[in-house]
Amino acid sequence: MGLLIGNNKGNMTTSALTQGLERIPDQLGYLVISEDGVLASAGELENDEHTAGVIMQMVRTACRFRQQGAAEPPFKRMSVMLEDYVYTVTVSGQKVFVVKRQNNKREPVMV
Amino acid sequence: MVIEDVVIVCECDTYVVPQDPDVYKPLIPHPNPDSKPLNSTEWSSASVPSARTDEQALLTSILFKTALNIIDVSAADSQGMEQHEYMDKARQYSTKLALLSNSLSQKKPLPLPSLTSQPHQVLASDLVPYSDVQQVSKIAAYAYSAISQIKVDAKEELVVQFAIP
Repeated sequence: MGLLIGNNKGNMTTSALTQGLERIPDQLGYLVISEDGVLASAGELENDEHTAGVIMQMVRTACRFRQQGAAEPPFKRMSVMLEDYVYTVTVSGQKVFVVKRQNNKREPVMV
Repeated sequence: MVIEDVVIVCECDTYVVPQDPDVYKPLIPHPNPDSKPLNSTEWSSASVPSARTDEQALLTSILFKTALNIIDVSAADSQGMEQHEYMDKARQYSTKLALLSNSLSQKKPLPLPSLTSQPHQVLASDLVPYSDVQQVSKIAAYAYSAISQIKVDAKEELVVQFAIP
């Protein structure tokens, strides 16, 4: 069981949520956000309520997109791509998951 | 030149499409249904616009509808209300308003839809390839350039003088 750096309330549900995020290779930090606020944060996103707020607004806007008459939003993941890093965002079970990852601009080398 | 359409825009009117058709219903029923809101005798006999020419009928119906919506504060035959009637009405309105604002404040923001049941998998999978991002950026730049080149190509004068011999 990993030690969580951040405002983890210490319950099993939260660590179950974050274990998978911690293991993402090249991750620089993450946030788990609910309607009530930040549930967990770590790395470069530790206690970053400002980024959490901005991303929540972006997610709410993006979730309103619909393809012609469809009931569900047309995407699984939202990527906010910046110069050196990417925020990957998804929503599951009323919670927003954000992972900050290294943005590798080089094409993968075929060996 | 044949004039096909004449559009009259009245700057004082703002039309908002209400979500709820009940929004135009009076909050409390009118106590004296026989009273007339306007002084003009034109409306006392015409409850339905009379059928003259098409244009005339259309104009009359527009004026009629506007008259129904206008609250004429300068109406000469305004009924004087006694103090107790006035207080009564004020009380009825505030009760009704309190009832309505209660039901309004219960609205909650829309819940977020669930995008996936596998958040860790989705977030761990490959990032969008940089070549794709470059391509989309190029397309967006072209679109921006195209839109900024949209111009009005004026062919003839908008306002002309009619030559009346």
